[in-house]
Amino acid sequence: MEKSLFRYIWTHSKRDQMIVCAVVLASLPFYFMSLDLPRQIVNQAIQGEAFRDGNPTAPFLNLSFDWPGWLGGGGTWEIFEGFQVSRVGLLMGLSFVFLFFVIVNGAFKYWINVAKGVLGERMLRRMRFDLFAMVLRFTPEALRTVKSSETATIIKDEVEPIGGFIGDAFITPVFLGTQAITALVFIMVQNVWLGMIALSVIAVQFTIIPRLRRELLRLGKQRQLASRQLAGRIAEVLDGIEVVHVHNAYGWERAEIGHRLFNLFSIRLKIYNRKFFVKALNNFLAQLTPFFFYAIGGYFALRGTLDIGQLVAVIAAYRELPPPLKELIDWDQQRLDVQVKYDQVTQHFAEDRLGPMLEAREAAEADQPLIGPLVAEDIRIAGSHGDLIVEGGAFAVELPASVALISNGGAAASILARILARRSLEFSGRIRIGERDLTQLPIAVTGRRIAYAGVDPILFPGSIRDNLVYGLRSKPLGRLKEDRQEMDRRIAEALRTGNPIESISDQWVDYERLGAKDENELDRILLDLLDKVGMGDTIYLFGLAGRIDPERHTSLAERLVEARHRLRDTFQSNGMADLVEPFDPVRYNTQATVAENLLFGVPISDEFKGRNLAENAQFRGAMDKAGITDDLIHMGLQIAETMTEIFEGLPPGHSLFEQFSFIGADEVTEFEAILRRRGRDEGSLKREDRTRLLSLPLAYIEARHRLGLLDEAMMGRIVEARGLVREVLEKAESAGVEFYDPEGICAAAPLRDNLLFGRVSYQVANARARVAEAVAAVVRDLDLQEEVERVGLEYQVGTAGRLLSPQERASVNLVRCLVKRPDILVIDGALAPFDEARSQQLMQLLLDLFDQQSLFMVLPNDRQAGAFDVQIRFRDGQIITNKTAASAPRPSSPEPNAPQRIAGEVA
Amino acid sequence: MTLETEVQSLRQVPMFRDVDPARLKLLAFTSERVQFAGGQRFFSQGDPSDAAYVILDGRANVLLNTPGGDIQVAELGSNALVGEMGILSDTPRSATIMAAEPTTALRIDKRVFLELLAQFPQMSLAIMRELAKRLERTNAQLVAQSSS
Repeated sequence: MEKSLFRYIWTHSKRDQMIVCAVVLASLPFYFMSLDLPRQIVNQAIQGEAFRDGNPTAPFLNLSFDWPGWLGGGGTWEIFEGFQVSRVGLLMGLSFVFLFFVIVNGAFKYWINVAKGVLGERMLRRMRFDLFAMVLRFTPEALRTVKSSETATIIKDEVEPIGGFIGDAFITPVFLGTQAITALVFIMVQNVWLGMIALSVIAVQFTIIPRLRRELLRLGKQRQLASRQLAGRIAEVLDGIEVVHVHNAYGWERAEIGHRLFNLFSIRLKIYNRKFFVKALNNFLAQLTPFFFYAIGGYFALRGTLDIGQLVAVIAAYRELPPPLKELIDWDQQRLDVQVKYDQVTQHFAEDRLGPMLEAREAAEADQPLIGPLVAEDIRIAGSHGDLIVEGGAFAVELPASVALISNGGAAASILARILARRSLEFSGRIRIGERDLTQLPIAVTGRRIAYAGVDPILFPGSIRDNLVYGLRSKPLGRLKEDRQEMDRRIAEALRTGNPIESISDQWVDYERLGAKDENELDRILLDLLDKVGMGDTIYLFGLAGRIDPERHTSLAERLVEARHRLRDTFQSNGMADLVEPFDPVRYNTQATVAENLLFGVPISDEFKGRNLAENAQFRGAMDKAGITDDLIHMGLQIAETMTEIFEGLPPGHSLFEQFSFIGADEVTEFEAILRRRGRDEGSLKREDRTRLLSLPLAYIEARHRLGLLDEAMMGRIVEARGLVREVLEKAESAGVEFYDPEGICAAAPLRDNLLFGRVSYQVANARARVAEAVAAVVRDLDLQEEVERVGLEYQVGTAGRLLSPQERASVNLVRCLVKRPDILVIDGALAPFDEARSQQLMQLLLDLFDQQSLFMVLPNDRQAGAFDVQIRFRDGQIITNKTAASAPRPSSPEPNAPQRIAGEVA
Repeated sequence: MTLETEVQSLRQVPMFRDVDPARLKLLAFTSERVQFAGGQRFFSQGDPSDAAYVILDGRANVLLNTPGGDIQVAELGSNALVGEMGILSDTPRSATIMAAEPTTALRIDKRVFLELLAQFPQMSLAIMRELAKRLERTNAQLVAQSSS
């Protein structure tokens, strides 16, 4: 990025800036006119100067210019002689002209402001994008010191004021400057002395104020750094929250942040003191001029050398002068401030921290398979402390091959793995594959043909599928059908701001390249790989817990009801009928909560979820209509009594509270107060108390909690109320609840609930496991397993994949590499989360899958190395290569040299 | 059957006899009531000990796994507590418990049970008293055996 902010702005917005400037200049004559009109109104119309000679009428809208004498004129050039009007007519006419200019000036201002805003916003977009593009270019070395949260703060917050300033960068000085000059010239024209006074005060303002503000800038810079570090520190604590918990470092962290906040406050305080002092001084100087005007101008007027109209106009013009001046000074302040910010930002993205420009979309030139002899010569790798890890190392392997990089306990194997995967360029020497230099391969080729799975599986928030196909999204295929007009607008804006024109709604995954016809086939490939790495069962469970989208999973949606009936039949015929209590529109389900029984559906919007239901007006209305509000509140009282009794003595925050109680530990005292209030005067509960009590029985499950609160009669009334709830909600066209339908699917409920259409009994021993088995059997019988797993691919992995276990994360990471079908797969510690048996299985799997491609794997010792074609060891800075003697020749690439060499040895 | 009746059953168990009724209610509330079909196992010998059971209704057999097959060593009826030694000593199940007929039991989760003990010393004391009594009885039996 350019060193100077102004150059950056000028390079990218010349045209727009000039257009706005031109409009600003065009607006000036109108502005001048509106300044001159008050004088005319007072002098000509009110004081009657135009009618001085006893004329009953005067010309209005007379347009004429006096040719100055030096142009050889002396005559008057009259364009329009004007209308002859009376005194009142002139007053009205001039006033309306004044009004007209007010409107015109307002319109100009409006247009200019909008244009400035749009201009600033476009530049902000460009700047943010440029910065983000630079984020992608950070070198591995820079990334060790760059804090992600600080970078995020810079791109989001710190450039914001710069963006706001950009619209003003050139236009404000032009606009305000010319305005101020116009006003000044106007005053000068009226009276030179008054003009000189105004000018000298302005000169003082312009020299003193910026000097005083220099200190402000320094403080501003400090504040920017301090608040950026605060953001970074908060993110650090959050990322490392576990360590904070483990070592009970709350006190220290609190004090740390408190100290930072104090520092910020101190800086802010200094800024305020200074800022408002400067402001006060500025205001004083601005008010000094009118003082001179009144005193001196008034004196002139009394002496008769200045007429009253002129004085009024001068004062009016001067009233127009301070705002532009003040804003000009503010602009200057902002300019320096923003330049400081900009410098801070560009320092963060200094050239030496950035790698070369990414040519991610390079032409397909040289995109040949990475096979052939891999030859490394004269490799020299230095460690981070200057120690030599490899010196003069050399090896040659005929690719494709499986190669074990056997660690000697040091970093050599991992570093070489990273070099081969093009993750690191910190070495000297040559590595060639066939004719091509590994370090010179374009990213388009390496991204497609090399995959690397390191110790840390990095996942992005999103579904498992999103993460798996991440490596396949190298470029859009341009198959998006979007609204022509919208698209043109989007692309035009992107081009204007240096943003990419690709749309993320486009199809980015090239299915054909993977040998898949469409999304479904790709899913099949993904599921097959997940199954191979041992994650099939997990995905199936994710699928059961997932929600189906009838639009996307059409075939599953169609057959789900059939599966539901089949499952019911299985339960009946195997004597398992008591394991699941089905949802029945006309019966109470004792295994479900009271809320579920009342809604007979799944809440979609938050106002129908959990305790919010008790506050929902529609729901409350239905309860009142059904006449069970009081019964529910009575249940609530009983629950509150029991809970406060049996959880008494448990400290707040005890895990039993969290797990079993209807009442949160912090609510106990409130409910005790409600109970006491009720004990004093029966039956008169406050509205809020009633709502709170009503919320308790909503989560009550008779079979599980066994408080004996529901008898047959009450259950019957709840089932009756169910119909009313539905009626009320449907009448109100509320989309808050999706109702159960025995013959249809409920998209808001998990797939498992849609299959079971009931609740597993709490009372039957081992019911859950037995039901799960039965479900799995039916799903298998109906051949729905793949469909269910497909739903499982939509499971959200959470921030950094935290909703997955370490093994699951590692599996997803591995499959993400495998699905790309790279020519070279480099594995360095990606199997670490697995136990030894699993990791051996996975290694064998990788060897089988990659018998046509190359596999480089870092191994901690040579126990497993025999399974690889080639072993690379590291000793005393040397690289030693061994070939496995018994290695069967690869069918795809029989080594042409091998027989000859053997022959040579025999000879 | 409600929580109250379960509390009544718990009171019949010697180990819980001296425990405060409010605590027994908490114990019952945090436990699960489960039904076993005749022939269904509560747990098998060698399983990890994850819960204790109080039989509320029905009968269960205590089986020992021997080279000659399972042999029945005892029968448990209503209000019997079973599996508590395993969760206290953190050892695998020493015997198999199998329902002799449709049986209802209260399943006391190990973690919850231990947390209750940690929280309420009075409850721990009651348990200790009962364990001490058992030890005393065993000692007395040993003395009787060795002297006979």
